[in-house]
Amino acid sequence: MTVWERIAAMDRRWIYLMCGIAVLVPFIIPVSLPVYTTPEVQQLYDAVNSLPDSSIVMLTYDYYPSTVAETEPMSRAALHHLFSKNCKVVTLSNIPLGGPTIAERVTRELAAEYGKVYGVDYVNLGYKANYVAVMKGLGTAISGIFPTDNTGTPLTQLPLMQSVRNYEDIAFIFVVADNATADYWVSIVNAQYGVPMCCGATAVMAPKLYAFVGSGQLQGLLGGMKGAAEYEQLLGRKDRAVRGMDAQSLIHLLIIVLVAIGNLGYFMGRRAKRGERA
Amino acid sequence: MTFHLRKTLGVCLAAVILTASSASPLFAQEADEPAFLTNRINALVLIVVFCAAVLYFTYEARKGKRLFLRKIAGLDAVEEAVGRATEMGRPVLYIPGILDLDEMDTIAGVSILGRVTKIIAEYETPLIVPARYPTVLAACQEICEQSYVEAGKPDGFNKDSVRYLAGEQFAFTAAVNGIMMRERPATNIFLGGFFAESLLLAETGNAAGSIQIAGTSQPEQLPFFIAACDYTLMGEELYAASAYLSHEPLMTGGLKGQDLLKVAFIAVIVIGVVLSLLDHWDVIDFFDIYSAWFQEA
Amino acid sequence: MRRTAPVITAFVTGVVVTISFFFNEQTTFIGQIQSGILIWVTIIFGMSLALGMVSITRVNFNKVKRRQEGWPYSLLVIISVFVMAIPSALPVSWSPLFGRNEGSIYYWLWTRISEPMMATMFAMLAFYIASAAYRAFRARSTESTLLLLTAVVVMLSRIPMGEWFLRLFHPSLPDWINIYIMNGFNLSVQRGIIIGAALGAASMSLRIILGIERTYMGKG
Repeated sequence: MTVWERIAAMDRRWIYLMCGIAVLVPFIIPVSLPVYTTPEVQQLYDAVNSLPDSSIVMLTYDYYPSTVAETEPMSRAALHHLFSKNCKVVTLSNIPLGGPTIAERVTRELAAEYGKVYGVDYVNLGYKANYVAVMKGLGTAISGIFPTDNTGTPLTQLPLMQSVRNYEDIAFIFVVADNATADYWVSIVNAQYGVPMCCGATAVMAPKLYAFVGSGQLQGLLGGMKGAAEYEQLLGRKDRAVRGMDAQSLIHLLIIVLVAIGNLGYFMGRRAKRGERA
Repeated sequence: MTFHLRKTLGVCLAAVILTASSASPLFAQEADEPAFLTNRINALVLIVVFCAAVLYFTYEARKGKRLFLRKIAGLDAVEEAVGRATEMGRPVLYIPGILDLDEMDTIAGVSILGRVTKIIAEYETPLIVPARYPTVLAACQEICEQSYVEAGKPDGFNKDSVRYLAGEQFAFTAAVNGIMMRERPATNIFLGGFFAESLLLAETGNAAGSIQIAGTSQPEQLPFFIAACDYTLMGEELYAASAYLSHEPLMTGGLKGQDLLKVAFIAVIVIGVVLSLLDHWDVIDFFDIYSAWFQEA
Repeated sequence: MRRTAPVITAFVTGVVVTISFFFNEQTTFIGQIQSGILIWVTIIFGMSLALGMVSITRVNFNKVKRRQEGWPYSLLVIISVFVMAIPSALPVSWSPLFGRNEGSIYYWLWTRISEPMMATMFAMLAFYIASAAYRAFRARSTESTLLLLTAVVVMLSRIPMGEWFLRLFHPSLPDWINIYIMNGFNLSVQRGIIIGAALGAASMSLRIILGIERTYMGKG
């Protein structure tokens, strides 16, 4: 086995080690390069910005704890944006494991920062099983699906929910998701009920969601940590996503270098083989 | 229960008439509200055209007309992959996705499982089917048992070969990866709805040296399967697989109807593009009316 | 009857739900049927969890009983299942350790063990993507070369360092990548796959409703 063939067939554990180092280094030595804004994020920012003050907005926490590195910065940035515009926020989750807990923690933390009152300025509806039934049911009556909020308080006792009957009273939906629920929000709620919406999704999901941005069903898109970082920058609040971009930059560069090395090994190995045959 | 075309057409027609009878007091509870949603007529037209196309080709297939199906390499490789597992004396691992039974991807996955299990039963190869949902578990157990019976090997089926692992996505993934590394299946088949775990599964299977056949309708997961698997079914190939493997004319009729509609969609897109360009050049002003019909109010 | 009844059920529910889609959910009885059926699906799903409990217990209990290879892991699985499930199902009024609120056994195990493990599994994707990319992105043919080049430019355009580097060649290069690759080729291919998959799913649904496709019930 030549040295080139060995490079081409490198043990994957070396790659894992390099990845580990590439992720760790930026946390020790931050670089903080500027983030350029993509049109989809600008579109999202403009859509939220154009909402009248005190609009009622639904914010979804449709993500598992496993993806919080990508998705939580989106939720936090969205809340900063909405609360700074004095929007009323109704949150919910279609994820049984972790979704409602994250919603409770993040929303309360940011609401406290802006001095918002629970039940008046924001409400956490919590989780109900079967997202298709939930999305369709909210079109008829929110109280039919969520008779109580996340803590068990009846919606009738929450002032904000007196003026929110169904989708007709929701001005905008800000979906943050790491799974197929994003598609359902578009195909059920936007297509059938006509509620304007935007979406923040993991980087893996983003390419598919571009199709909905192109069709005008989504008024903007945050794709992964990069999208969240762009949004943070537009809001003038460099937070977790901007900080995480250094690690993402380095690991992307590492993969590019690895691909180049792999190809070099592959071609040189082939050439060496041809030389042997000649 | 056999398929009766005339009866089916009658029922479909009745359904359409029923749907169109918007003023029927039988369904209205409040007279002042419109009962029938006129903004969904486009969907109704599409459903009627689609049903007609599928039923027509099914009828043609029943009459004995041979319908051409292009080759799907991943499905042609199933038998070879099972044969390899038999030679090596190692099991076949089949995962029908990570979604529940009410999702079409899962139904497609478990449908193909029936066909694959028949081959596995004939070869007397060990089978492992991990399930993430109890409903999928029950369906898979039933299907596998039935396939063993149909293959004439009813005693060959081991009920524990179909097993529930975990309801949480990554707990399920970790458990499957453990099975891959411990039991070293010669063949891994991933057919169904897959998400973030697709690469975790496929890469572990690749490390274990298994032949891998994958298929999903989730576009965002296809690159991972293509990178780490030997064969990948893309999008609708997953739904066509059951018909492809069965070679039954009735099943292939549905595929033909679907293709006809796809041609119609392509025509709609091309016309839309042309109208949009003409609109853009101020030649005619018809594009907005045309595109509005395809959007719900 | 064992085969016919499910086919009839699938046919009736399929047709009824399709019809109900065209009727006003708030004012008509037929429009409300769909929601009713969806609620039933949720109830059936909840009840079916018992099946999973039985299966996971039986498979792992047999392993422990026979002292098969890896039996201690099976024992750990059984313990984990019951330690998570039983206290969370008991009423909070009995003890603050029960239920799923903060301070309960379930909550503690969830936040201290489950969540970090889930995050770890997802984070492993970075390592797996790197090793898969190393193997897959080889310029073996024209198609794979195109795949490789596209992957590299998209990866560069998704990081600040890469954007800065791309702008050295042309100030609008990252924007062109976004316009032509992400909103051009990517968007059209995604749409093609989505439309194709939707048609495939609809065709399969129709085959199921009409009873042509019955393999999902074990009828091959």
